[in-house]
Amino acid sequence: MKCRYFLSLLLVFLFPVTLWAAEIEVDVFQFKVETKDVLEKAAKMYMEEHPGIIVSIQTVGGGDDYGAALRSRFASGNEPTIFNIGGPQDVEDWIDYLEDLSDQPWVELAYRGVLDGVTVDGKIYGMPFNQEGYGFIYNKTIFEKAGIDAGKINSYDALVEALEILEARKGELGLKAPIAFAPKEKWITGLHLSNVAFSQEFGDVLTAYNAKEVDFTYGEEFKLLVDLQAKYAYKPSGLVSSLNAVDYAAQVEGLFSLEQVALMQQGNWVYNSVASMDEELARNIGILPIPLKGVVEDCIPVGIPMYWTINKNVPEEEKAAAKDFLNWLYTSPAGKELIINEFKFIPAIGGYDGLTPSDPLGQDVLKYSEAGKTMSWVFMGYPSGWGEQVLGANIQAYLAGDISWDELEEICKKEWSEARN
Amino acid sequence: MRRSWVSFWLFVGPCLTAFIIVVIIPLLFGIYYSFTNWNGINAEVDFIGLSNYAKLLKDVHFAKSFVFTVKFTLFSVFFINLIGFLLALLVTRGLKISNFLRTIFFMPNLIGGIILGFIWQFIFTGAFGALGEYTGLKFLMGWLSTTQTSFQALLILMIWQLSGYVMVIYIAAIQGIPRELIEAAEIDGAGSWMKVKNIVLPMVRPAFTVSLFLTLSNSFKLYDQNLSLTAGGPARSTEMLAMNIYNTAFSFMKMGEAQAKAVIFLIIVGFFTLSQVYVSKRGEVEM
Amino acid sequence: MTVRKKRFILALIGLVLSALYLFPFYIMIINSFKTRRELFLDTLGLPDTLYFDNFVLAWERLNFPRAFLNSLLISTGSIILIIVFSAMAGWKLERTKTGTSTFIFYFFISAMLIPFQSVMLPLIRLMGKMNFLNMPGLIFMYLGFGSSFSIFLYHGFIKSVPRSLDEAAIIDGCNDWKLFWHIIFPVMKPISVTVAILNATWIWNDYLLPSLVINKEKTHTIPLRVFFFFGEYTKQWNLAMAGLILAIIPVILFYFFSQRHIIRSFVEGSIK
Repeated sequence: MKCRYFLSLLLVFLFPVTLWAAEIEVDVFQFKVETKDVLEKAAKMYMEEHPGIIVSIQTVGGGDDYGAALRSRFASGNEPTIFNIGGPQDVEDWIDYLEDLSDQPWVELAYRGVLDGVTVDGKIYGMPFNQEGYGFIYNKTIFEKAGIDAGKINSYDALVEALEILEARKGELGLKAPIAFAPKEKWITGLHLSNVAFSQEFGDVLTAYNAKEVDFTYGEEFKLLVDLQAKYAYKPSGLVSSLNAVDYAAQVEGLFSLEQVALMQQGNWVYNSVASMDEELARNIGILPIPLKGVVEDCIPVGIPMYWTINKNVPEEEKAAAKDFLNWLYTSPAGKELIINEFKFIPAIGGYDGLTPSDPLGQDVLKYSEAGKTMSWVFMGYPSGWGEQVLGANIQAYLAGDISWDELEEICKKEWSEARN
Repeated sequence: MRRSWVSFWLFVGPCLTAFIIVVIIPLLFGIYYSFTNWNGINAEVDFIGLSNYAKLLKDVHFAKSFVFTVKFTLFSVFFINLIGFLLALLVTRGLKISNFLRTIFFMPNLIGGIILGFIWQFIFTGAFGALGEYTGLKFLMGWLSTTQTSFQALLILMIWQLSGYVMVIYIAAIQGIPRELIEAAEIDGAGSWMKVKNIVLPMVRPAFTVSLFLTLSNSFKLYDQNLSLTAGGPARSTEMLAMNIYNTAFSFMKMGEAQAKAVIFLIIVGFFTLSQVYVSKRGEVEM
Repeated sequence: MTVRKKRFILALIGLVLSALYLFPFYIMIINSFKTRRELFLDTLGLPDTLYFDNFVLAWERLNFPRAFLNSLLISTGSIILIIVFSAMAGWKLERTKTGTSTFIFYFFISAMLIPFQSVMLPLIRLMGKMNFLNMPGLIFMYLGFGSSFSIFLYHGFIKSVPRSLDEAAIIDGCNDWKLFWHIIFPVMKPISVTVAILNATWIWNDYLLPSLVINKEKTHTIPLRVFFFFGEYTKQWNLAMAGLILAIIPVILFYFFSQRHIIRSFVEGSIK
């Protein structure tokens, strides 16, 4: 009798303890399908080291509906602990949910400028995912065969010269055209390409975010880059307007990976796409600068695609666990190993001595960074939707011959100022 | 009287409850949000009157996508129903392969919109291109890069997918025609065309009402196929209303304006389709 | 022209048309047997070798048996509810000629025009409050969304069922409940099968709603898992197509067998 009483007493005490021990659940809601598996692996490793904490990863499939999915997730009341935001507009929209991360140990390790987009009144609200860079990705083997020295392409004129050589010898090189250009993807033109011009006009992302007007200060030079790609690109029907049917898959996995073109405007994220098509080719590619004629001719844009943020409305211990998990992932030896070799990220914070990206595109981005030949990403500071739905869409209209470049600038200026005033 | 009232709500009640909770209440919230500065995140919103509606009057793209959607709907409703009805006639003739054909014609509905768009993209750019090069027919080249070809491509895709869908509805209706009617007509010496015109057509009127309405609302609300085949391009010229609303909400992040568009959309489309249902219901044969 | 000859020509037309309708499936099937490289190198041609790895990989990555079971549970659950309740409502609404009845009918119909995206966020908020973001909740939502269209189909069908059938039963002393289940519902079998088929294709393939409602990976449906083949940039089409083929075979079989059912029951039903 006594024994039974004691046992049940023990159970009463033990039960909440065991429950409590497994009670802290860090719920990660993230957008990058590409990193789903390795993030789950990281969570598992972390949980083994930290019993009592559960890190569950939820990934939104399909790529581009994260904004909608995140909103509905918050609307449902089932709020995540860790989620992703993109830039200043997201910070403003989500500010009621963002935990101040200024006191975190990784903050002082962060490279200069990488926290600009998530800093408001001196408080830091996001932890950078990684760094990404883009430019003209080129096929080293074809360049060699054509006798072009990629190292000397550091100006607009040099790029034109290379394209001309490729165009002239495309038959013997087995090319359909020198370059693949995909304006169907409005982010390629409206965000990435335009960034080359607007990073010079605005300087940094916060200036762009606060700008009431856009001037197209380097509109002419921007136009040259569009025209140049259109001129030397593979056009499905031979007409410039048919470029509007070329998408990411056709550009990267089709034309470039099948070595039917020698160049494309893309970033280090394409490494896995190319490698899954042709591993040999993936080892022999590099990044050339995107030259803004007469302004900056030997730089590539490098920036932060996404930030991790922590929901400030969850219980304290859950927040603490979430912070600890992110710290572990980006600053512990095991975590760093994962970031470099499994995520294949270019870290945006220091302390990764001895660990370098294993793929040639990541290495090239790092080279530009170390040489200081980078420009910042300002497109996160464009008004919402402006880059793709206004500028990108109007570049399609320009390529189709429906509007002139002057009209394009006119429309885009007007839309920008309407969105900001 | 009292009992029939109870039985009425007993039969209609379950659907109505689910419907009100799942559709109507959220819709009322949506209408409410159209008068506010809601950003899709915070529950507390400010009431800003009609200014979302005032803004969309000036939205050129909304007007453009409205015109495009109407045009697309007219074409697709006509062709889908014509072809679907002909297919239904074909497979109700007692052919040995009828069952096989029905399965084939219906199969397009089994593929989800996103993958469908991808497959057809290959057909329009790859297969058409190859065929164009081979035959020298210029009009087969460069599909999906112009408004015209994107429009036709969308139309072809929708006909391919939905004609089998309405076929199923027409088959059910054709099969439901009493044998005696047809036999009587045959005894009177009516030919195939006469049978179709005088018996089948009037008898399947209810099915026409249903199918017209279905294709009308499906074409108006089209989103998945639009996104995966043309993504609204080139230059947003093939952006249909649902996509325009979606982009307003999640690309431009103007939730209130998007809700206002949805309300306007609902009123206009509701007016057209309900009058269609009303008109065609009046002409149905009652048994 | 003899009947035989006429039938032959019709069958020929049918075969030509079916080739046109099957062409996209041809593309899907041949590409599910290709490597990524081959897929882009020659999308339209036959594969060099039959590369089964896509199917093996898709099976694993989709967690196919589990996802299939989830899809099956959700689809059958929803369809049974939709058929039972909308058949009841459709019949009652057609047979009751009052203002309320007509109003409710049009109320249901007009809801078919509502773009899902415009009720999405408020719906999820409401369902979250009701603790309905799970499988039963999803089935309930499908009943709400599917009933309009299904009632519409039943309503249209009932019209062609003679009222004398109802009246005779009532004279025999049937109450509404008995009348419906013993006499009306069996007569409606063909349209019930149609309703089942049309709802099945939609629910089986639906992505957006379950993606918002189902948060746990172990209750993921097939489309939710297929979307993991679509990344931020790269879409793994060869895997997606293999996965899709695995997913639609059961639906094709279901359709093939159930539509034979429609024909048979029609023949039976027409001897009134």
